[in-house]
Amino acid sequence: MGLLSDPSISTQSKLVAGLARHVGKVCLLLYVAGVAWFFCLALPEFNHGTYLSENALSPGLVYPEIRVDANRLAIQLLEELHRERKDHVSTTPHAWIAAKMNEFGLETHTHNYTLKYPFGGGKEYYGKNVYGILRAPRIASTEGIVFTAPYRAASSVHTDISPSVPLLLAFADFARRKNYWAKDLIFLVTEQEQLGMQAWLEAYHDGDREYEVNKTYLWSGNLPARAGSLQAALNIEVQDLEIDYVDVRIEGLNGKLPNLDMFNLVQRIMAREGIPSGYRQGPRKKRRHSRSAYEQNLRGILSMLSSQSSGVPNGNHGLFHRYRIDALTIAAARKPTHATLKGNPASAAVPLLKAIEGIARSLNNLLERFHQSFFFYVLVNNDRYISIGDYMPALVALVACAFVKAYLHWFMLPAATDLELEPEPEADAEVEGEPEEPFDRPYGSVMIYITATLMLGFLCNVLPLQQYFLEIPMGAAPLTTSVLSFLSLLGTVLPFVVVLPPGGLELLHVAFLLIYGCALIVVGLLNFGLGFFIAVLTVPLVISLETKEENWSSSYRHSVRLVTLILNPMMIVYVIVLGMTFYQFPELPMQKILLRAATAAMDASAYGLIDSVIYGNFLYFIVSTVFLPMWIMCWTLALSKRRDYADYLGFDEAPPPPRPPPNPRLKKTN
Amino acid sequence: KLNKMRMELAWIVVIHLVGCLADPQDTSVLPEGFVDATQRSTHTNNWAVLVDASRFWFNYRHVANVLSIYRSVKRLGIPDSQIILMIADDMACNPRNPRPGQVYNNANQHINVYGDDVEVDYRGYEVTVENFVRLLTGRTQNGTARSKKLLSDAGSNVLIYLTGHGGDGFLKFQDSEEITSQELADGIQQMWEKKRYNELFFMVDTCQAASLYEKFTSPNVLAVASSLVGEDSLSHHVDPSIGVYMIDRYTYYALEFLEKVQPFSKRTIGEFLQVCPKRVCISTVGVRKDLYRRDPHKVPITDFFGAIRPTRVSTHRINVTLANEEDFIAQQDEEPLKKPFKIVLEPQFPSEFFK
Repeated sequence: MGLLSDPSISTQSKLVAGLARHVGKVCLLLYVAGVAWFFCLALPEFNHGTYLSENALSPGLVYPEIRVDANRLAIQLLEELHRERKDHVSTTPHAWIAAKMNEFGLETHTHNYTLKYPFGGGKEYYGKNVYGILRAPRIASTEGIVFTAPYRAASSVHTDISPSVPLLLAFADFARRKNYWAKDLIFLVTEQEQLGMQAWLEAYHDGDREYEVNKTYLWSGNLPARAGSLQAALNIEVQDLEIDYVDVRIEGLNGKLPNLDMFNLVQRIMAREGIPSGYRQGPRKKRRHSRSAYEQNLRGILSMLSSQSSGVPNGNHGLFHRYRIDALTIAAARKPTHATLKGNPASAAVPLLKAIEGIARSLNNLLERFHQSFFFYVLVNNDRYISIGDYMPALVALVACAFVKAYLHWFMLPAATDLELEPEPEADAEVEGEPEEPFDRPYGSVMIYITATLMLGFLCNVLPLQQYFLEIPMGAAPLTTSVLSFLSLLGTVLPFVVVLPPGGLELLHVAFLLIYGCALIVVGLLNFGLGFFIAVLTVPLVISLETKEENWSSSYRHSVRLVTLILNPMMIVYVIVLGMTFYQFPELPMQKILLRAATAAMDASAYGLIDSVIYGNFLYFIVSTVFLPMWIMCWTLALSKRRDYADYLGFDEAPPPPRPPPNPRLKKTN
Repeated sequence: KLNKMRMELAWIVVIHLVGCLADPQDTSVLPEGFVDATQRSTHTNNWAVLVDASRFWFNYRHVANVLSIYRSVKRLGIPDSQIILMIADDMACNPRNPRPGQVYNNANQHINVYGDDVEVDYRGYEVTVENFVRLLTGRTQNGTARSKKLLSDAGSNVLIYLTGHGGDGFLKFQDSEEITSQELADGIQQMWEKKRYNELFFMVDTCQAASLYEKFTSPNVLAVASSLVGEDSLSHHVDPSIGVYMIDRYTYYALEFLEKVQPFSKRTIGEFLQVCPKRVCISTVGVRKDLYRRDPHKVPITDFFGAIRPTRVSTHRINVTLANEEDFIAQQDEEPLKKPFKIVLEPQFPSEFFK
């Protein structure tokens, strides 16, 4: 035994001693390295060209067969739809869509769903989706591909995308005549933006589920017909049949992305049809190359990561990712009316129809779900990407600081031998008491403390949705915000009320560092943008946080406390919203901006909660249940409230009760 | 027969030695009669084992490859009972096939290689390495249908054609397992030892195909591969109406050659080995001749791709039962020599009636 463990002790203590001297430098170096690595990612040496890795897709091997008659049909359908829209200003012309699908020979069904809005006195909203299934002619209905078009009523505040439905129907009519489909094709028209999509997907995948009356907000019902396991989905949002460019949207729920092969497939087929398309594609303009390629790449990365980090899908495709269905949106923008080059309207949509056909045929060739290429990547630009293996080191370097510190603090906990590290007599006293009773660390009380903070975080999720809170005549935003602020306030007060027993702070520090590191790595793996931005923001604080009193000037400690206060999750949300408000309305006076940002931040937290209960977005959950408790721990450590032996006895009845006090006899002898 | 061959070999050595001793300049001259005897076809029947080891719709071309070779050998006279066709995936009935029940090997679509009379012996998941090795070595499981057995003998010329996805030293079967070149060489050695072939022509069209015949040690094997080690074999062209690659380059040019071969043609294997030069094939065709005794340029291609057997016309009585019957021997001695006569070959099908 000794043979194996003895030598390690000496090297370990040497390592710890060395580390203790240089920990600040090491952490700073790691932090700088992580950030520098991130900035390097925009360099061409750190990213790779995209390529198609799935052989089965064989994109562009077939000549498109869709002809100008499909375009004529689309134009005719669009005219009909415009007539219908006059009668259905704020509703969807379900009957017309269903009739057309029937006419084209699809197996047409409708799907009803109900939303019981948690706030606002339990108001109910009803919605209806229409979908038609084209059964694969020569194979059992075991797999399907979905083509969806969201329908927006004429009264909608969003951009008009009504031509999507005629385009979808025209393609359905074409596809109906073909015999080579190996998967069922589902043509789906949803309403109420993402809500309809979410309801349809839930109904498709667990339609026969029993609902719990109080906990279910979206009653998605069941579907009368299905088409096997869904392999891929394409969401079509077209502003006009005469298109200028196609914006390919990929960010889904919680920052999930479709397989890189799917994006590459769409890019390749769009290129073949001569449609300018890409991720974040904008209108064609005469570019003045004022920005260097590096800056453009960096902007591309940052914009993708920031839109991913909110976890809100930027199109109906995003909800598919939850069910492991690769999906993306092709959003075609209208050609500006003043465009000098007017195409022939009679064949304007043919390239887009051909592209949809090409994508459909490639997806039809799939033999299994997308699995070859990356699911975790960052697009630098349309033909370059960074894989997870290349971007994770940036985050890992940042988080490594926490683990290095945790290691160091763990070995300094017993501190029996390292007397020179603990020169203070107070610390000395503890240290000498320890070796005689090595298990005297207050594990229990620290555990209880951590549990209490986690409970506070958990309550943020649960409390705003409780029946008695919902009955208060209050809007969703003020209600959520007041519950959140109340709980944060509790967290702020907690370290003043509960003071941990001796050694507890150090132990809490180690626990905090470990939880923090693990949480960031997990969040970063799922949603790199979110994890990385939080890490960049908070790692400096975590590095500078120390529980020891010695060699700390009071101004330093006060500034750390101030920074900790500023980094409260609610403050961060407010600051982000403030920044966005300032960016959007720069003309407003400062006072108004502050006020507007406050209401917007309140709305944002309420939306976050609603998103988490209806769509399963985990941003609200992570912030409230993981980062708020960690902030409370952080705040506790920054305050470093210690009890000395005198008020130790007085705190016996304090909630939550810590472990029974360590043997007082030992203390007295010292 | 083996003894006879050993004798022949011994004779070669002896003659060679004598030749060397007599005239060191002239080693290549062998007695004409001997050369003739060795160059003459020695087989009595023909077999073909045609394997497509790959799956999936995008590997349509491999099915087209193997069906094209099947079509050629069948046209040149090997009956279905002596062709073992292994096809791992059914392209004709794939739901993605816009032309159900048909497989083409050319974008012009003039030959449906999946015609009405294709007999697939091993299909789908039956195409495994195990079944292939069992088939070659004759160790089929009890109850295997006769059509699934390679019932060749010491007089059989066997053609083995493999296509699929390969790498250095292996050929992938069904996207789940591989046969290695060592296993292949072992299988062929067992075939030789079990007297299951007279001569064997091994033809393979995959990436790095030459690696598959590297380990062969068995005699009388002639091997040709579409690409050398380290090279990819490439496909020839796409049919944009079906959306797949139609056929591989090497097989395409091999077929171009085979399509011109008629059952009685004088084309030789030597010519066949030269099809698909690097200019059109892009990969380099690999040939292994060191195990083969005959000069490929004197071997008719129908020795492997057809079923044209050497025929000897005899005017004598032939005793097929007991050679030592005394009255037969006596009678034979008495029988007078017949005059030389002329043979007229009647066409098998009286086509002139339909003109």
